[in-house]
Amino acid sequence: MLTILEQLDKGSLWQSPGGIHPPQLKTLSNQSAISRLPLAKRFVVPVPLVGEQATLTVTVGDKVLKGQILTEGAGFTYLPVHAPTSGQIIAIKQHATNHPSSLPTLSCIIEADGQDTWCDLTPNSLNQLSKPQILDKIKQAGIAGMGGAAFPSHVKLNPASEIDLVIINGIECEPYITSDDRLMRDHSHEIMSGVGVINHLLNPQRIIIAIEDNKPEAAQAMQDALNRSDLPKGVVRVTVIPTKYPSGGEKQLIQIITGKEVPSGAIPAQLGIVVHNVGTAYAIQEAIYQGKPLIERVVTLTGEHIGQPGNYWLPIGTTVADALQSVKFIESAEQKVIVGGPMMGYALAELDVPILKGTNCLLVPSQNEIAPDVDEKACIRCGECAVACPALLLPQQLFWHAKAEEYDKAASFNLKDCIECGCCSYVCPSDIPLVEYYRVAKSALKIEAEEKRQAEQAKIRFETRLQRLEDEKNAREAKAKEAAAKRQANMKSSDKDAVAAAMARIAAKKAQVTTAPSTASSTETATQTSQAVVDPKKAAVNAAIERAKAKKAAQASAARNDTLDSTSESVIVDDKQAKIAAAVARAKAKKAAQINQTDMVPTEVEPSTDIIDDKKARVAAAVANAKAKKITKENQTDETALAPQPTAEIESTTDIEASTDPIDDKKARVAAAVAKAKAKKLAQANQTDVTILAPHPTTDIESTTDLEATTDLIDDKKARVAVAVAKAKAKKLAQANQADEADTTIESIANDSITAQHTETPPTLKHEIASGSDTRLIINDDSAAYLTPEQIKKAKVAAAVAKAKAKKLAKSAEQEEH
Amino acid sequence: MTSILIAVAVLSLLALVFGVILGFASKKFKVEGNPVIDQVEALLPQTQCGQCGYPGCRPYAEAIANGDHINKCPPGGTATMEKIAELMGVDQEPLNAEAQSSVKKVAYIREDECIGCTKCIQACPVDAILGAGKLMHTVIAKDCTGCDLCVEPCPVDCIDMIPLETTLQNWDWKLNTIPVKVIHSEQEEQAC
Amino acid sequence: MAFKIASSPHVSTSLHTNTVMKRVALCLIPGIAVQSYYFGLGTLIQLFLAVSVAYLAEAAVMKLRHKNIKATLSDNSALVTASLLAVAIPPLAPWWLIVIGTLFAIVIVKQLYGGLGNNVFNPAMAAYVLLLISFPVQMTSWVAPQTIALNHADLVSSLQSIFELNAQYSAEYFRTGVDGITMATPLDTLKTDLSMGLTTTESLAKPIFSGMTTQSWFWVNMAYLAGGLIMLKLKVIRWHISGAIIASVFVCASFGFLISPDTFVSPLMHLFSGGTMLAAFFIATDPVTAATSPRGRLIFGAMIGVLIYLIRTFGGYPDAVAFAVLLANMCAPFIDYYVRPRSYGHRTGN
Repeated sequence: MLTILEQLDKGSLWQSPGGIHPPQLKTLSNQSAISRLPLAKRFVVPVPLVGEQATLTVTVGDKVLKGQILTEGAGFTYLPVHAPTSGQIIAIKQHATNHPSSLPTLSCIIEADGQDTWCDLTPNSLNQLSKPQILDKIKQAGIAGMGGAAFPSHVKLNPASEIDLVIINGIECEPYITSDDRLMRDHSHEIMSGVGVINHLLNPQRIIIAIEDNKPEAAQAMQDALNRSDLPKGVVRVTVIPTKYPSGGEKQLIQIITGKEVPSGAIPAQLGIVVHNVGTAYAIQEAIYQGKPLIERVVTLTGEHIGQPGNYWLPIGTTVADALQSVKFIESAEQKVIVGGPMMGYALAELDVPILKGTNCLLVPSQNEIAPDVDEKACIRCGECAVACPALLLPQQLFWHAKAEEYDKAASFNLKDCIECGCCSYVCPSDIPLVEYYRVAKSALKIEAEEKRQAEQAKIRFETRLQRLEDEKNAREAKAKEAAAKRQANMKSSDKDAVAAAMARIAAKKAQVTTAPSTASSTETATQTSQAVVDPKKAAVNAAIERAKAKKAAQASAARNDTLDSTSESVIVDDKQAKIAAAVARAKAKKAAQINQTDMVPTEVEPSTDIIDDKKARVAAAVANAKAKKITKENQTDETALAPQPTAEIESTTDIEASTDPIDDKKARVAAAVAKAKAKKLAQANQTDVTILAPHPTTDIESTTDLEATTDLIDDKKARVAVAVAKAKAKKLAQANQADEADTTIESIANDSITAQHTETPPTLKHEIASGSDTRLIINDDSAAYLTPEQIKKAKVAAAVAKAKAKKLAKSAEQEEH
Repeated sequence: MTSILIAVAVLSLLALVFGVILGFASKKFKVEGNPVIDQVEALLPQTQCGQCGYPGCRPYAEAIANGDHINKCPPGGTATMEKIAELMGVDQEPLNAEAQSSVKKVAYIREDECIGCTKCIQACPVDAILGAGKLMHTVIAKDCTGCDLCVEPCPVDCIDMIPLETTLQNWDWKLNTIPVKVIHSEQEEQAC
Repeated sequence: MAFKIASSPHVSTSLHTNTVMKRVALCLIPGIAVQSYYFGLGTLIQLFLAVSVAYLAEAAVMKLRHKNIKATLSDNSALVTASLLAVAIPPLAPWWLIVIGTLFAIVIVKQLYGGLGNNVFNPAMAAYVLLLISFPVQMTSWVAPQTIALNHADLVSSLQSIFELNAQYSAEYFRTGVDGITMATPLDTLKTDLSMGLTTTESLAKPIFSGMTTQSWFWVNMAYLAGGLIMLKLKVIRWHISGAIIASVFVCASFGFLISPDTFVSPLMHLFSGGTMLAAFFIATDPVTAATSPRGRLIFGAMIGVLIYLIRTFGGYPDAVAFAVLLANMCAPFIDYYVRPRSYGHRTGN
């Protein structure tokens, strides 16, 4: 048993399955040496990677030199694009490209100046450069596989694994094409030095230059070049293999040379094998030793409709039309212009497309050479295609499923292993364009896979979004809780008694305001409150409620203004900014202040504590005013409608209404006059409501009645009558409500305020919303106003006074009750 | 008499044995969750458009597994419906909504007209719209599922659904769709 | 400026379906010639009838299906089907037999299944079996070889016989040999004799085996073999199916013959009598109804061979080619499904 290396040295060959022997017709074009055509006027250089991996370095109107790089980019498979000649860029636009679809792709249109001036070239020798430098030079030269697939060569020259065998592909198994044949004959030395570079880079155990036996001259030339070269002896070898299509396929060639099969889905490098085209070897040599980028290639122009068939050096970007024009192209009806060979090439729909790095042949056949297409007939399952298939597939089964568009079934017959060589179509007695079916099926599978991937992606994004929304919601709740806890904590840290006392005081004031009987009940409430304050949370809410009540009360009795004023002012003195803001607010709301200063202060404090800048505060205050007006208006109109569903919001809104709205003096007076009634009404309503909703008496209801009381003018009569009844019940209400109300209200308020902040994501809006538009916040900030230490001090003082007063009141209440 | 007893005994024994086997199998080969849901979901197009009346593809898959109609997915079209019918072993039904054209579309925001209201951002089920308040928004085309949901909320109607362009990457090799006019022969040209 | 586009490859072989079918039909000529030589001109008349009916039937169906009549007729597949049926039935069978058979083959077996390429069963053999089980008398009334026949069937009398114009020229009339014994095919006689308890040796001692009858069948088979070899040479067919049939018939027959020469006839007898060669080269090789992969075809052929032998030896009918082919046709999709070749790069094991 010989080792693989010994067999390689012996020149042993293996059989590759399938394959066909189409008429060669190579003599049409390989009789003369490679020549040059006159320089075209216009070049189309596609820059397909621009936008994905690369950017253009030139703009319209720029002058470029031959070999100048037009793009720059990063990425493993990125290849730069070069100007094929010197001239001016006259356009950068979508232009039809050299592709079976003729779809447009971004291209630079270069108008040649005819000088063909090279840019600066830096020739090197192998010794001067390190391996990474060589690879970079190859990459910068834009060298791609010249066999047709145009895969970036530097990638194949820098494999992850060890390479044992390099095969230089000089097979050229397609009929008609002779570009590699002529290149090997005319430039065998250059190719061999390119092989030397590959050898230097990969350092393989063997390099096999494979040539089909229908090119004896090329094989001889390569052998001579090898003998004269200074490549290490025994490493490089020229192997002649029998002519058969498609021996030039990478996988087929590997099988013929080594007997190994490249596993499906794998690349040859995984077997330690790399295949390079002879044209690539030539281009590598040019890049290293001449410094020239890959801007031209040998193209076979052949077919009976070409006047001067042969091989020509064509700059990349020359249009097919220009190239054909200069070789006396004879146009006929139903003319096909085929890029590549007759087996795998594609017919162009348009000739104004550029020659690309992988374009090895332009075939312009006559009707005699290539028969016009005939209609496909029914498959008779003769199995000839399966015999011819080099990939050992079952083309008739693939066809069956592809035609029925059962692409997944076609895939199960290993459609992806099809190399589209065309052997099956070639032998098909029913003229079925099998390869076309496979291509359609393959692209459908590709699109399907892509859609599946996108669907998967969409699903992930959708789920992530749901998660995000969920998280935001949770965060909101957490924040609300945190805020509540903070308040709670602050309440704890401050003197509970002080707060409680403050509230008691307020309640007491209210009690004083109201008539004698109601005073008694209010005092009850106050004492009740001070007991309830043990739970600070509730206390905070209670405070808010009590304050609101107190406002109403204060409104009603102007005589008590002084005391209330002092307390509420003491609330703000602590904060400098609050002072300023308050001052501003006062100035703004003079009218309102005249009528009821007491109410004015707490509401206007809000923007100042929230926003630090004066400016902002002013702006916010202005906004707040405007918005408050709006809301008030709305509320006023909606009052009746809203009445059944009163909320804490409305309560506070009406507060604002009372404070910020410049209410007419008249109105204010009327309101003041009615205030008594209101207070009575309050008590009355509370009681009646409580009787109705006895199990769940809430602040909401209470506040509604407040609202109604403020806005609606209720008969004094009614109120008085009710007051009498109310007295007794008010006590009950106060006792029952205090605890329950507190909890629910504070939570709803906190939630609402946070919602307000988060529903509107844009940060710029936040302040406005937070400060002005939403009256809900007022309550928050009111409560926040209690937080500052100075205020607490003052509150303590006030509380001490209040306590004394409360006691007095309580005493008097007791006396009265007794 | 004994033969009857034997028969009864044997049958009872068999019943016991098979019962044990079944019990064991139900433990051993227990399938977690309902695999049908996953299978149906895999067939759905994942546009998350909600046109089926469910908030996303997964809930609809669950609904189908529980016997809902299979014809509520316009983005998937008839092809998806047929696949689901095959999977679920139910009859095919005509789509209840007009099936969207099979051409895949993506949303495109005419950026000059966008007022930055963020409404489309909130509507997008896959977060494929980028933008901030009062700033221009744009669609991340590669992540857009073409579900149409952003078109409706736009107050200035600046969102278009445009068909995905054919590129070299997604070209389907259908050669006969390339417009080709056969050139006249020289004789005919001279005659003209 | 726009150009004609088409998918690659842009070249193809000149061997088209119609050429393949034409070659098959042409390769039948030696067999038909020898058959006519031995069994009279009846075969040619049947051939003419069958081909005419086949083309007419196909054209009619194509018209009904709104398909291109010319394109379908020009693929020559109807010609092959008709020819095979014509050579398979007795030369002097009544005219309606071949008409029914051809109509059944073309209209029902072929076109109703979707036309060429879509039929599950070999049309000629399906029609043959239909005729055989519907009209067993007419289908087994094989004429005596002309050289030993008592009454020669010339063109006129053949025509009269086939079209039942003259009661005198019945099939029975032409079946009678010089010795006044009604002739059957050798396989038929053998079957009857074996069922009557005779050994093969005793049966083979009968005049039908000694003289011209066996010899004529031998030469007919040899002619079909020759035609088949030409087809192989022309690469119209591949060797797998034919080779497998011949090999399996030979192996089975040899096996039986070695075990019990008295009850099982010799392999040569099996290979060169009845329709063995016709089946091996012309009928079973119909690509539409056969397996497609080489290995599948070997299995397919071997299956036919074994079935031919089994039905001939143990079944109720003297010749079994048609049944064997139809049974194998049924299995072809399964064979194809299970005998998939390994694709490149899908090496099993290492």
